[in-house]
Amino acid sequence: MTTDNVMISVKGLKKHYNYGVVKALDGVDIDINKGDVMVVIGPSGSGKSTFLRSLNLLEEPTEGSIFFQGKDIVNDKIDMDKFRQKMGMVFQHFNLFPHKTVLENLTLAPQVVKKANKAEIEKKALELLDRVGLADRANAYPVQLSGGQKQRVAIVRALCMEPEVMLFDEPTSALDPEMVGEVLEVMKELAHNGMTMVCVTHEMGFAREVGNRVVFMADGKLIEQGTPDQIFDHPQSPRLKDFLGKVL
Amino acid sequence: MTISMANMGKILTYGNMFGQGLIVTVLLAACTVFFGFFLAFALALMLLSDVRPFRHLEKIKTDNINVKKRNDFIARFNPVKLIASAYVQFVRCTPMLVQVFLVYYVVFGFVALPKFTIFGFIQFERFFPAAFALALNSGGYMSAVIRGGIEGVDKGQTEAARSLGMSKGETMYHIIFPQAVKNILPAVANEFVTIIKESSICYTIGVQDIMFNVKSVQSATFIVAEPLIMATLLYFCLCFPTSKIIEHVERRMRQSDNR
Repeated sequence: MTTDNVMISVKGLKKHYNYGVVKALDGVDIDINKGDVMVVIGPSGSGKSTFLRSLNLLEEPTEGSIFFQGKDIVNDKIDMDKFRQKMGMVFQHFNLFPHKTVLENLTLAPQVVKKANKAEIEKKALELLDRVGLADRANAYPVQLSGGQKQRVAIVRALCMEPEVMLFDEPTSALDPEMVGEVLEVMKELAHNGMTMVCVTHEMGFAREVGNRVVFMADGKLIEQGTPDQIFDHPQSPRLKDFLGKVL
Repeated sequence: MTISMANMGKILTYGNMFGQGLIVTVLLAACTVFFGFFLAFALALMLLSDVRPFRHLEKIKTDNINVKKRNDFIARFNPVKLIASAYVQFVRCTPMLVQVFLVYYVVFGFVALPKFTIFGFIQFERFFPAAFALALNSGGYMSAVIRGGIEGVDKGQTEAARSLGMSKGETMYHIIFPQAVKNILPAVANEFVTIIKESSICYTIGVQDIMFNVKSVQSATFIVAEPLIMATLLYFCLCFPTSKIIEHVERRMRQSDNR
C-alpha cells in the first residue's frame, strides 16, 4: 500500500452521528509512521478521542479507510480481535478489572487470547511491573491503588500483549496533579524505547518534550500538523493560535 | 366472628398439615427460582443479543436521508430480541392466576404427567405444573434484573477487554459476568421471597401449600379466621428472616468491593 515506514494510514475518515447532523470526524487524512510519537491536541469536542478510538474500531467510522499492515480495517473483512491485539490502548479512566488482582489484570488477556503459558507471562508481567516501579503491588486489587498507580498498571496491561502501537486516550486527565508526572515518566520511557504512540492529551509540556509530531484538531478536522517547534512556536492557522493562547 | 384462643388451640391440632404446607411452599419457591433463573438468564442473553439478519443494509451508501433512515430501521431488526421481549411483555401484562391456569389446564391438559407423590404428601402432577408456571412467570421478571445487572457493568470494562483483543464471548465470561453477579444475586434472592408469597395462588390448582391447608382446616373445623392468622404468621416468619439475611449479605458484599 505505502512505504515500509508507514504503520497506520488514515484516509478520509468520517464519523457522523444523527445522519450527518453531528460530524465528530469530518474527513481526516494522516499517516502514522513506525516509531512516531504523535500527540493529538485540540479543544474539547474537536474529535480527538473519536479519532483515536476509531483507530482500533471501538468507534465504527461512517466513511473512510484505515490501512494497517496493508489491510483496510474499516472495509475489508478482517478478524477484528486479531488486529486489536496489535494496538494497545490506555483509557482516561484506567478501566482496570476490579475483580482481579494487578497480576491477573496483566496476565488475563495474554492467557485467554494468545494462550500464553501462565508462568512465562507472569514472569514477564512482573518484570514490566518492576520497570514502572510497582513490583510490590502485584497482588493488590485495583481499588487499593492510587490513580497514578492504576494508570501505570493499565499501561503495563496493554504492553503485556506486545502491541506494535500504543493509543493513549487522555491518560492523565483523570489524575490528581501530583500523579501526572509518574504516568508521563512511564510514557516517556516507552517513547525512548522506540514504541509507536498516538496520544490524545492536554499535557502541552509532554507534547513538546516527547512528541516528534503534533497534530491539532478542531471541529472534526485536522487543522495543522508538524513538529512540536512548528506547532507551538510557529503556529500558522488562527484556530491554533487561538487555542494555544488559551492553554499556554 | 371472633378470634379466640380456644379456636387457635383447636387448629393447632392440625399442625402437621400446616407443617406439610410449609414444606411445599418452600420447595415450590426454591424450584421456581432455580428453574426461573436459567430461563431468565437465557432471556437476558436473548435481549442483549446482536443477531441482525439485515445489518448489511446499514452499509449501503445513499444521499437520500429517508432511504438511509429506512435502511437503518430494518438493519436494527433483531428477531431473537423480539421473541424474548414479546415473551417478557406477555408475562408482565397477563395475570399470574391466568398463567397458572393456562399451564395447568391447557398445557398439561394435553401432556399427561405421571401420578406419584414425593415424601408422601406432594402430588407431583399438581406440584410440577405449578412450579413450571411460576418459573415461566418469574423467569420473565428476573430476565430484566439480569439484563440490568449485565448492562450495569461499566462500559469501559468492555472497551478495555475488547481493546486487548478479547472476543465478545471472552469479555462476557471473564470480565462482565463476574462483576454482574454482584448486581444480580441479591435481586434473585429477593425474588425467592416474592415467590414464597405469590406461590399462594397455586392452591387454586390443588397444590397442597400453606394456603391449601388453610382451606382444608377451615372446612374441617368451620373455623375461618384462625387458620388464616396461622398462615399469615407462617408466611411472615418465612419471609422476614430471609429478607433480613439477604440484606445482611448484600451489605457484606458491598463492603467487599472496598477491599
